[in-house]
Amino acid sequence: MFEPKRLHPISALINFIKGLKDAILPLIAVLFLNNNQQDGWLGSMPLLISGSLLLVILTAGIIKWLRFSYWIEEGELRIEHGLFVKKKRYIPIDRIQSLDFSEGIFHRPFQLVKVKVETAGSSDALEAEAELTAIHKKEADHIQLVIDERKKEKFSENEYEAVDRKLVYQMELKDIIIMALTSGGAGVVISGVLVFLSQGMEFLPVDAIYDEVISWLQVGLLVVAAAILFVLFIAYGISVILTIFRYSNFSVYIDNGDIIMTRGLLEKKQVTIPLNRIQGVRVDENPIRQPLGYATVTIISAGGSVNDSDQTLTILPLIKRKQITDVLRRIIDDYEWDLPANRVPKRSLFRYILRFIWLPAVIAGVVSYYLFPFGLLAWILVPAASIFGYLSFKDAGWNINGNQLTLIRRILVKQTYVMKKHRIQAVTKDQTIFQKRARLASIEATLKSGAGGASARLWYLEEKDTDIVMSWYRYKDSYNNGSLD
Amino acid sequence: MNEPTQRISIRALTLWRIHGVINAAVVALAAIGIGLLTYFFEWSMWPFIIISIILALEIILYIFVIPTLRWKRWRYEVREQEIELQYGLFIIKRTLVPMVRVQHVDSEQGPLLRKYRLATISISTAATTHKVPALDEVEAEELRHSISSLARVAEEDV
Repeated sequence: MFEPKRLHPISALINFIKGLKDAILPLIAVLFLNNNQQDGWLGSMPLLISGSLLLVILTAGIIKWLRFSYWIEEGELRIEHGLFVKKKRYIPIDRIQSLDFSEGIFHRPFQLVKVKVETAGSSDALEAEAELTAIHKKEADHIQLVIDERKKEKFSENEYEAVDRKLVYQMELKDIIIMALTSGGAGVVISGVLVFLSQGMEFLPVDAIYDEVISWLQVGLLVVAAAILFVLFIAYGISVILTIFRYSNFSVYIDNGDIIMTRGLLEKKQVTIPLNRIQGVRVDENPIRQPLGYATVTIISAGGSVNDSDQTLTILPLIKRKQITDVLRRIIDDYEWDLPANRVPKRSLFRYILRFIWLPAVIAGVVSYYLFPFGLLAWILVPAASIFGYLSFKDAGWNINGNQLTLIRRILVKQTYVMKKHRIQAVTKDQTIFQKRARLASIEATLKSGAGGASARLWYLEEKDTDIVMSWYRYKDSYNNGSLD
Repeated sequence: MNEPTQRISIRALTLWRIHGVINAAVVALAAIGIGLLTYFFEWSMWPFIIISIILALEIILYIFVIPTLRWKRWRYEVREQEIELQYGLFIIKRTLVPMVRVQHVDSEQGPLLRKYRLATISISTAATTHKVPALDEVEAEELRHSISSLARVAEEDV
């Protein structure tokens, strides 16, 4: 396959739509904001401008497609594009970390896929190293095959076990629905319902003393509240349905040292993470899902592009807490996540609570000053925040097990970071002067994540515990430091 | 745990005080401006009083208190296998960076730093950057060399 190849013509259309998306605001501005009905040629100016803009975007889309070619030669994926300035990008196949496939609605009728090529360190952190907007599935599989062959050549035979793709986890429909119901939008709706109920209760004519004007005002409020609630429900419903579409058929495979995740009903997505790029594991338990016994597991991985780092690496979007150990072991065997944690000392409790309530207290102070007397209600925030402070204190913990460090902390979501010593980039202990007096300190470990870093930070441990973590991380001669890969 | 052994250059003190003076001069200019406006347009005295207090604090803190505290706190140590730093005014930070994690070392030197023969070193890992400010020029150069050669020895993926 030496001769340069073009993308499927449909990519011209996709380019056009992408360009349209970027230009939509100016277009709307030109068409609608400038609509003061003038006669003659001035009146048709907006139409002319937007028409020519559309034409330019369309031509740009087509030219982009015409001038884009790719091929594989001398162990490199070569891409050339550009109209006036010809840009060439040659990516050595050895350097390719993974190919991510996705299929949009334009791809599916023609058996096409979009291919994103990820390398270890993308020069531009915000973009994938290369992107093939639309190519045939067979073609994509062929490229994948070439890459696999190449890698097979590089490794000696016994190192490279030709194992077939093995399914290790599949999300059940029940879990997907629960996830959709408890995702971000849920909190908004629940608080909406609460507000509505409180309004409704107030409206119930407990006292008949309300004069007409006030009750009329309240009916008005009620109508507004009901309308807002209605809109919220619709938005919530849409987000639930979208989530179900997006995550249906979510499955995780292991294939030759890669984790492969596929998902999606309308738009299929496939993401590959090489096992040796894994830097750590994070288990999230948010306040809505935790009581139901559910958690989310995310893999912290190096390389890849930043903009989709979070979503795509969630390998277990929603799973029963009890199953995590089991499933995780099938995917990455050496991470133990449910070890008994050392807690932070009792005398930190006050500091945790203080940390959570100072901002609400300031806000409540300001609000009650300006909106006296109803603003005084804002002080409810303070006890609410102190509950979160207490929870944060209660859940905080750490554990060292061989060359693995676990830090558990909660702000709103309880996060358990599981890290290996040889993947931690730096460890910092910090301490204020007051904490020094109380013999407390905080600890922070940083992992590489995507093109940047991810930090796990645990507040107010016993100072001697932070010293234990520090000396665990410190270099020791011989065996203790070893155990690399 | 013992503190790291090395201190940064004592000339850093002078440098930081000069920075403080420059900052204070800017605030002083603003204070003079407000003073004039107050005088000619009969403003209330409050803005002038507030900026004067800020100026006084700036002079005390940024020229006298903070540079000394900061210098006293700053320690570093470069060992064969790791780098240890200690810094911070009210929050004292202690950072440990293994040599195998170091990706590259930069040194930089602005005009003021050059005048005082000082340089700042920044040590980058794949995820973090750590700065050691205001080292003696020669020392900084040596440090950069030794870190980069040590880091090269201890190379490994990511």
